[in-house]
Amino acid sequence: MNGKLYWKQQLPSLLIHLLCMAGMATFLWVIGNHVDVIILILVAWIVILAVCLVISYYERSRQMKRLLMLAERLEERYLLSEVMEKPRRADDQVYYQLLKMAGKSMLEQIGEVRRERAEYKEYVEQWIHEIKTPITAMKLLCENHRFELTNELLVELEKTNRFTEQALYYARSEHTEKDYSVREIRLFDVVHQAIAENKYLLLQHKVRLELQETEDTVYSDEKWVCFILNQLIVNAIKYRTARPMLEIYVEHRENKNVLCVHDNGMGIEASDLPRIFEKGFTGKNGRKAAQNATGIGLYLCKRLCDKLDIGISADSVGNGDGTTIRLSFRMNDFIQRV
Amino acid sequence: MKQKILIVEDDPVIRSELMVLLEGNGYEVFAVTDFSNVMECVKSFQPHLILLDIKLPQESGFSLSSKIRAFSDVPIVFVTSCNTDMDELNSIMLGGDAFITKPYNTAILLAKIASLLKRAYPVRGNETLSYQGAVLHLDGGKIEYEGRQVDLTKNELKILCYLFRHAGTICARADIVEYLWDHKLYVDDNALSVNINRIREKLSGIGLTDFIKTKHRQGYVL
Repeated sequence: MNGKLYWKQQLPSLLIHLLCMAGMATFLWVIGNHVDVIILILVAWIVILAVCLVISYYERSRQMKRLLMLAERLEERYLLSEVMEKPRRADDQVYYQLLKMAGKSMLEQIGEVRRERAEYKEYVEQWIHEIKTPITAMKLLCENHRFELTNELLVELEKTNRFTEQALYYARSEHTEKDYSVREIRLFDVVHQAIAENKYLLLQHKVRLELQETEDTVYSDEKWVCFILNQLIVNAIKYRTARPMLEIYVEHRENKNVLCVHDNGMGIEASDLPRIFEKGFTGKNGRKAAQNATGIGLYLCKRLCDKLDIGISADSVGNGDGTTIRLSFRMNDFIQRV
Repeated sequence: MKQKILIVEDDPVIRSELMVLLEGNGYEVFAVTDFSNVMECVKSFQPHLILLDIKLPQESGFSLSSKIRAFSDVPIVFVTSCNTDMDELNSIMLGGDAFITKPYNTAILLAKIASLLKRAYPVRGNETLSYQGAVLHLDGGKIEYEGRQVDLTKNELKILCYLFRHAGTICARADIVEYLWDHKLYVDDNALSVNINRIREKLSGIGLTDFIKTKHRQGYVL
């Protein structure tokens, strides 16, 4: 509470007191009282007034401080009116009532928005599942009836599927509730799956694949990791150089298995490197090489990794020496012992 | 005898294309069109394997699966577009043997079907392919001709396997590469030439010369 302002606001009542004192002193003097008596009465008045004012100031100030503290400790501050005690003063009660009304309408709004978002998410997920039926049908049609444009069409279908998956995982990554299940997965099974999902794209660009296959397993969600790998493979192709090559191998660190995806593409400039996981960041390469860089892919990877507790980092020497993306999976001692 | 596969899928295009695909790979296929008596179809067709969609017009795939499990241990593959964890968990709990999400890779689908069938109905003896006296041992990774045999690497075996299966027709290089990729062997065009040359050397070592012929600009033919 601002002390100066408080005392300023007490000024009118103080003036009235002063006036009353002057009036009473004059009256007492006129009717023939001794000056000592008048002074005694005035001193007593002033002392009582001062004590009253100081006490009420501290009381008020303590009360306000308590409210501020309460608000500070509260995580959702808009719930303050629900937690605070009902004030005793008449004007405070009006403010209390106003606060309650504001809080209530706020809660209603939040509830509405939450429900709408949940509904929208549900709709998006359902839509994605529905769109997969025609994608599957088209894919089967293409693979069963080959003609000269089949492979181009299959590449486009892979792309379509990837974009729908991206929307699905974006919707999933926004919500805190659990949409994944962690179990033991063999890293290279997921790698093979991600390659299969981009088979036609990789074949179209004649990408040379170097896999150093191992039997390492990690504990994570297969579908999410596969989605992340998908994004990395697509990036490697988007920023490729003349003879694209993709190397995938596992590095063993102290209680960590690190899956490395290395390409020989154009690389990332040092100045861009710290920002590539930011939403909407496209960097020099994104603007130069790929017109369709959205700045969503790696951002989404990072978000999913954070949820799954996978470390993700990028390494690039700069121009033309390729990029290495590392996914580090923590090995849990406890799970291993079991 | 051909192995029988039952398709329970409500999308007509996917249903008919799956039939084409599976029949093309040597299976006998029956597709359910009347979803009110799937059980009757299962009982009368006696399939070796069932491809089951989860979202069906009348009864969900889950409940069908648990009904089938009441009288049969036939392998069931759930094929669905809902790739949520709950569905995957449910499918395992209710007796599904595999779970494949749409849009599926046909190579993965076929591989899964083949491995499930192999596990459920083990074939005795080695699987072999033969053409003009040459016998390819798929399990042993060998090729035999007039009593002499030679070992093959994984790549060489798969290439020969593709050529044997399409014996007499021209196999485009791109198709062979795609087939190899489907079997997790990521061989590029140059490496394919190297492999073919090595196979030719090995074949002439056991007396098979000019077994693989090159068709200029088209591919190879046995």
